[in-house]
Amino acid sequence: MTAAPAVRRRARTRAGLADRDGFLAWALLLPSVVYIVALVGVPFLLAVAFAFSDVTTGDPSFDFVGFRNFTEIFHDGVFWRALVNTLVFTGASMVLIVVFGKILANVLVADFHGKWFVRFLVLLPWTTPVALSTISWLWFLDSIYSPVDWVLRHAGLISGNVVWLGRPWTAMGSVVAVQAWRLTPLAAVIMMAGLVAIPRDIDEAARIDGAGFWRRMFEVTIPLTLPVIAVAGLFGAIMTFTDMTVPYVLTRGGPTHSTDVLASWAYFRGIEGGDVGQGAAIALFLFPLLLAGAVAILRAVRRLEPQ
Amino acid sequence: MADPLDIPDPSRHGLGAHPPTGHGLSRRGFLSSTALAAGGYGVLAACASESSGPEAKATGKAPKEVFSSPASKLGGSLSILMWSHFIPRHDKWFDRFLADWGKRVGVKVRVDHINTVDVPRRAASEIQAGKGHDLIQHIAPFSQYEPSVLDMADVVQEANRRWGQQLELCRKSSYNPNTKHFYAYCPGWSPDPGDYRKSMWQKAGMPNGPASWDDLLRGATEIKKTTGVPCGIGLSPETDSNMAARALLWSFGGSVQDENERVAINSDATVAAVEYMAHLFKQAETSEVFSWVPASNNQALIAGKSSYILNSISAWRTAMGTNRTIGDDIFFTPALRGPKAALAAQHVIQQWIVPKYSPNAAAAKEFLLHYTANFPAVTYNSELYDLPGWPSLVPQLNGWLDADPYGAKPANKLSLLKSATSWSANIGYPGPSNPAIGEIFNTNLLPTMFGRAARGQASPRRAVADAERQIDAIFKNWRGRGLVGG
Repeated sequence: MTAAPAVRRRARTRAGLADRDGFLAWALLLPSVVYIVALVGVPFLLAVAFAFSDVTTGDPSFDFVGFRNFTEIFHDGVFWRALVNTLVFTGASMVLIVVFGKILANVLVADFHGKWFVRFLVLLPWTTPVALSTISWLWFLDSIYSPVDWVLRHAGLISGNVVWLGRPWTAMGSVVAVQAWRLTPLAAVIMMAGLVAIPRDIDEAARIDGAGFWRRMFEVTIPLTLPVIAVAGLFGAIMTFTDMTVPYVLTRGGPTHSTDVLASWAYFRGIEGGDVGQGAAIALFLFPLLLAGAVAILRAVRRLEPQ
Repeated sequence: MADPLDIPDPSRHGLGAHPPTGHGLSRRGFLSSTALAAGGYGVLAACASESSGPEAKATGKAPKEVFSSPASKLGGSLSILMWSHFIPRHDKWFDRFLADWGKRVGVKVRVDHINTVDVPRRAASEIQAGKGHDLIQHIAPFSQYEPSVLDMADVVQEANRRWGQQLELCRKSSYNPNTKHFYAYCPGWSPDPGDYRKSMWQKAGMPNGPASWDDLLRGATEIKKTTGVPCGIGLSPETDSNMAARALLWSFGGSVQDENERVAINSDATVAAVEYMAHLFKQAETSEVFSWVPASNNQALIAGKSSYILNSISAWRTAMGTNRTIGDDIFFTPALRGPKAALAAQHVIQQWIVPKYSPNAAAAKEFLLHYTANFPAVTYNSELYDLPGWPSLVPQLNGWLDADPYGAKPANKLSLLKSATSWSANIGYPGPSNPAIGEIFNTNLLPTMFGRAARGQASPRRAVADAERQIDAIFKNWRGRGLVGG
């Protein structure tokens, strides 16, 4: 009998902590803060230090070498090729992500039966681990057993296999398509949030004034959601710019470096080749461009905030 | 309207009870469901495991294992990081073999098998962290780790004393002549013969497959013309294409470096090899050779979509387990003869390193000697995939190659491997496998050089000159660290 009030008191203390918004907010935020500091902040500072050092995978001792690593990578033709590929990969993916994200967002805000199931399916590419989904695409685009080729052959569109990953342009097209497939759901969800925030009366007023679907789309919906579209596009661009998983798993940068991006080339030089200093210098080249992207995102977000 | 994240009042529902509502989700409910889901995912992830491939049935008698007591009393523990062998039988045997040794010498042992492509990055992170496995094994030269690993000269000396001279191929893949250090211990290797479909080559008038690169060009062109089946010499950024590039280069008289580790890639011989590859691609191959991963040429050969590939015997062993008819149609050739030589790169080279951070180096070295002493069992349980670095250790080898214990048809299908050491070379040939050679290998510089000319992106001479610039920079870089001579 005497134990019951004590148990109740303990339970109340627990409930009290869980119910305090201030405590809970920090408790939930803390893992993210620790994660960002430990897995983004510290590696970033290490990468800066490595880029000015002669560290190798087999020799962690740090010797300062100034700008030598940068000078050497600037004399490497593959580095410039990877830079151009990164810009093509990012630009093309971003266009596809924004266009398909907008279309998907429009579909997702519409009312129809089975909407939740469709939303679930649309989000799948985003929620599946990237390495796993890219390996599935590697099988889909296999030079011998590609089901994509099988369907196209049976539809009479091709006679032999396309060999998607064996030709420079189809290989680049494939990595762009897979990246767009992967990131479109995220863009769609961001844009959906923008769409549902548009007051219904504006749309209704446009309808009463006789505006059709396309006119409302281009003169009402898109202008009102432009900041959100920009955020979705910039998120897609930054996540593509730094990504090496899709090119690495699908093509390992081939054929003949035609899909090597800065991140994958940094990995090849730094980890597989053993020259951590040069790998870090290549990876660090992403930073100024990413910084500009991040500033653009923050400014776009600020425009969305109520004045 | 009720807030779905409203906190339930315990006084209304009892201690810790949740409101019996079907709408929304309480905050506490959300937290506990998340915890449960995370736990469930962890359990599922822990239950997941890799499945093994098919195994050939052994018809011979397994060799008897030997044990000799360590030079000094051992204790403590020994952890090993190594690849998941292409032949699943090997890993089953190895795990039991290691456990038995641990029990006998009083060392607590553990082995982690991981995908071979993950070994370098895992080794790199452990060495950077200064903590990890006591013994790491990889199947390609690990020369870049020299500053952070123990010199294995004492183990090699002891092995030489017990079993005679080590194969030159293994020595050149584990010894740095500039620092005079054995950065790795190399007790075994695997050759890289040509694998061909006999039924296809018979129709092209070469029932024994091609003997030279000229034969390959003629025969493969003929097969592609008549049956549409292409040749499968890879030009992709992957291991097998790297091996093929070296075989072709050396057979034409070219090489990346000379015996004194001076860059030698830009030569007429290299240009001739690149020209040859451009012809072979245009006449006998398709773009698929640019898209391959290491398993692709195996799949193509087994699927009847390739007439000839360069690979180890594992593709054939797999076919023996899955489709005997196809397995029986796959035959092997030694290195193809070129204008200057008939050479192939080793397919796998065992590299065992002991990082300097290891507190159990004595146990690691003793285990390596015990493992080497039992190389007959290694060769047998790898289904003749791993050949010994000290040939005297496996006197049964020629008998097994003449009468395959796993049921090859004909039984002497692998007999050409008896002379494999005479037509195989380390990847740094004619010099050692130094870190510059390793970086060139791992950044796929040679397949790219051949591929650019084959694609018509550059003339053969230009492709070679561009490769030379990159190779020069890599050599200069490692030379500055004192790990490469010249």
